Amino acid sequence: MKESRNPFRLRASENIESDSTFVRFFSAGVLEALPPSSPWEGVRFLRSAEGGGKTSLLRLMTPGVLHSLISQGERDDCKDLHRKMTELGALGLGAPQVLGVLLSFGRNYASLEDLDLDPVRKERLFYSLLNARIVLATLRSATILKKIRYPEGLESIDIQLPPHVPLLKDLPERFSGRDLYKWAVKLEENICSALDSFGPANIDGVGGSEDISSLSLISPTSITMDGKPIARHTLLMLDDLQKLTRRQREKLTTALIEARSSVGVWISERLEALSEDEVLSSGAKSGRDHVGVIALESYWRHNSHQFLKFVSDIADRRARESADDIDSFNSHLPSNLSQPEWTERYAEASAKIRLRVLEDIRDHASEKPYATNLFGSWLAEAEEFAGTARDVAIRWRSLEILVQREKSRNQLSLFDEPISVEDLRVAIPVEEFNKKNDSPVKASAELFLAHEFGFPYYFGEKMVARLASANVEQFLGLAGDMFEEMISAIVRGKNADLSPLRQQQLLSNAADELWNDIPRRMHAGNEVRSFLEAIGRFSHWMTYKPTAPNDIGVNGIAISMHERDVLLQRAGRWTESYRPLLRVLTNAIAHNLLEPQLDYNVKNGKWLVLNLNRLLCIRFRLPLHRGKFKEKSLEEIIGWLDDGFQPPKTTGALL
Amino acid sequence: MNELNLSQPRWGNYFLQHGTELFEFWSEYLAKGDRRILFVMGRGFDPRMCLGISRLFQLDGITAADVRVIQFDEGATSPSVKFSDHVAENMRRLEDTTYGKALTTVSEIPMWSYDARRRIGSNEARKLFGSVADLGDATDVIVDVSSLPRSIYIPLVAKLLYLLDDAKTAAGIATKNLHVWVSENPDIDAKITDEEIDEQAEFMDGFRGGLDMEAHRSKPTIWIPFLGEGQKTQLERINNLLQPDEICPVLPSPSRDPRRGDNLILEYREFLFDTLTVDPRNFIYAAERNPFEVYRQVRRTILHYHEALKSLHGCKTGISAQSTKLMSLGALLVAYELKSLQVGIAHVEADGYNVAAGVYDPEIVDSNDIFGLWLFGECYET
Repeated sequence: MKESRNPFRLRASENIESDSTFVRFFSAGVLEALPPSSPWEGVRFLRSAEGGGKTSLLRLMTPGVLHSLISQGERDDCKDLHRKMTELGALGLGAPQVLGVLLSFGRNYASLEDLDLDPVRKERLFYSLLNARIVLATLRSATILKKIRYPEGLESIDIQLPPHVPLLKDLPERFSGRDLYKWAVKLEENICSALDSFGPANIDGVGGSEDISSLSLISPTSITMDGKPIARHTLLMLDDLQKLTRRQREKLTTALIEARSSVGVWISERLEALSEDEVLSSGAKSGRDHVGVIALESYWRHNSHQFLKFVSDIADRRARESADDIDSFNSHLPSNLSQPEWTERYAEASAKIRLRVLEDIRDHASEKPYATNLFGSWLAEAEEFAGTARDVAIRWRSLEILVQREKSRNQLSLFDEPISVEDLRVAIPVEEFNKKNDSPVKASAELFLAHEFGFPYYFGEKMVARLASANVEQFLGLAGDMFEEMISAIVRGKNADLSPLRQQQLLSNAADELWNDIPRRMHAGNEVRSFLEAIGRFSHWMTYKPTAPNDIGVNGIAISMHERDVLLQRAGRWTESYRPLLRVLTNAIAHNLLEPQLDYNVKNGKWLVLNLNRLLCIRFRLPLHRGKFKEKSLEEIIGWLDDGFQPPKTTGALL
Repeated sequence: MNELNLSQPRWGNYFLQHGTELFEFWSEYLAKGDRRILFVMGRGFDPRMCLGISRLFQLDGITAADVRVIQFDEGATSPSVKFSDHVAENMRRLEDTTYGKALTTVSEIPMWSYDARRRIGSNEARKLFGSVADLGDATDVIVDVSSLPRSIYIPLVAKLLYLLDDAKTAAGIATKNLHVWVSENPDIDAKITDEEIDEQAEFMDGFRGGLDMEAHRSKPTIWIPFLGEGQKTQLERINNLLQPDEICPVLPSPSRDPRRGDNLILEYREFLFDTLTVDPRNFIYAAERNPFEVYRQVRRTILHYHEALKSLHGCKTGISAQSTKLMSLGALLVAYELKSLQVGIAHVEADGYNVAAGVYDPEIVDSNDIFGLWLFGECYET
């Protein structure tokens, strides 16, 4: 295979063939998610949806990558990573200090459950297979670390068998890596042949292990070369834990934690592996908790500024690897609408809005003659306002929102009586307008303008990062589409800059692709998409109310933590109406289509906030701001599963 | 199990017929002797479900036949549930066809484990026939795969081959014949698409071929993906499973639509050339309507890589057959024969299917072409 034309398309870390390319692509920012001390001790869980960056982080700790990092450590684009890895203790004295062992789980562990054996025998086979594979993966990594041939070079590696390890009873106390290799190969072959046979599974000759005793064999003190430990730390990295059955997963994690081994263990798993309770508990705290769980997306959501820096760095690194003359990805994404064609369109929009506002105020005055002067000073201020065409348009649109709000307040006042008729005879002062015209109102005005007059809204470097919804693969997908356009422009001898409108078109296409793919990509995909559509339509309806009641709008819903518990309890008892909702919510969260935020404090209560994946917000023309949601009852959203969201017949547009 | 002879392809000489010729052959074949048929088929919504059996049962020579219908349960939330009317209609048609002529039994295959979290369909398919005795006194077993999913018919046919090979080894002679039928209709295939695809690809049970063994991890992995329309998600997931070092995509050529290969390249160009950086010289061209030709081409490729990578202790090969059923049978044959050379089949399953309008239109259903492959038995005896 040859180098990629568009390096953004090399998404999964597995597709990046060479360790040196991997190192150059790797952005050190993700290391901040690791605990600041003792990353090589204990058991840690890395969790994310697909494409969250778990496997890349694991691969970083493998010996080949560490060697490559040492050899490229002086390069400008590798210095930062080299420094941080040295600080972590992975590198030192020109050599890797950690023996990183990466092992992916395949499904044949789960197939053990299908054998006609008693549970104890199945468990022993499971541990046997796992022990054999851990030994093999460790030996292989050791040869890479020591730069010797595999498996021939294993003769020079000594294994000190710790006392009381029942796994290798028939081997002497000291033996070579080669002996251990032969033992593990035979064991693995016996089990796998039995599992893969079309004939009866013959596993009579296969012994069994009762626990994960291989941890003792791969500890730093057990593996030596020339009488010295081959590394200061051993780190066992188990990837794709979700491929195990739930029973195996629980047994294994318990065994690893209880082993209290000197070998550090990192376990990566997708959110779909978790129980419904665990999924609905994700989004808690800061993405890093005391029991060693690092939830990547959750971490990035709580550190959005770092995520922006992180993906921006990734983008520039990938762009530099391209054969085309693009050194910086972000510099080709204009992030404002200062171009002349937009100036003209903003002026047209301002004129239209101005007429609308005047008409609106006139209508209001005709209904309430005593309120004729109410908006006089606001209007005069808007007429005199000086700024760019865009600023002027936003000013007029803000005025329109505020006029709607005042009108709404006046109407309500007929019942609530907070405002007297005398008050309405006097113009509201300009200072009041300036006070009310705060950033959320301006942000709403900008969103409304974009929606009504077709101005690009979703564009620019920051917007692309936010649309990634804290998922690296989603970011690479978006950036890859944009980079494709950039290199095409260069081939045609044109400027590689992407206009804001084109950026938005590409992002919108990506949103449609994600949307259309939901039923295909996951279990219960059709149900999930229907539910997301209900949230999207509801959010759109709330956002585009003329009074912009929720400041900039909403892009999600929230249920109270109490109702979340009710949902879990009742669905657990298979209550018919609750079960489908729980299935939909857990699937959507596990695939990063809903972003959960637990224990959100608002209105004297605690809420589970569920925001739409940011990319899906484009489809419903929603803002991307965090913390924008509307509280809903469980009963109401259960109704959405069957009927979707139906706006009330009285929309309240001019209330 | 037959001894592996690398210089002599097992199905170098083969029997393949289709359309009118297939049933002319069967008419003569049945007339020649006392033939007892075991007809194995799937219960499903596919309009092709009963085409093969109804044509067979129209022949005069049918005197003794059993029908085994495989019913597979995809779960209450499967998108396929909405086609239950079509399933019932197919079963009524089957009853009309076999009434008074054959004994029909239904075998259920659960697709999900007891906790509904793990697929077990392909493993269960391997268990459907535990020994040759389970085939009864049938002289000829016909497996019609037209309404069976890949995850069922590939391990099922492989298991039957294994049992018959085993029996032949014991008896010294083939005692039964194995035929596979498939109703080929690209128009219908294009209208039936996978829905709610599994998150991750897996090796088919019986066809892991040691690809997931840690002991072989340092060997290069070759991926031979059969390209079919609308399979991007599946291909991405299989790529993640295999993490190949070399990729040799299979394109249908010659094919009924001469532009089909080009269209497939267009459909997957970004994935093939940008994500996977496939070398264009690696493409394999194999006849769309001849699974034995597919078998021969893929077999040659695998052996070539084994020879070329001998100094690295050989290689592992993962085949994925996300293409027509006819072509996928070629994948089955090569993976079965070369399993000991670490050849496996990777696959992504789906919860169910989406059927576009028009699938049940008579003019589309009538344009089916039934292919018959004779895989084991008398015709291969020397």
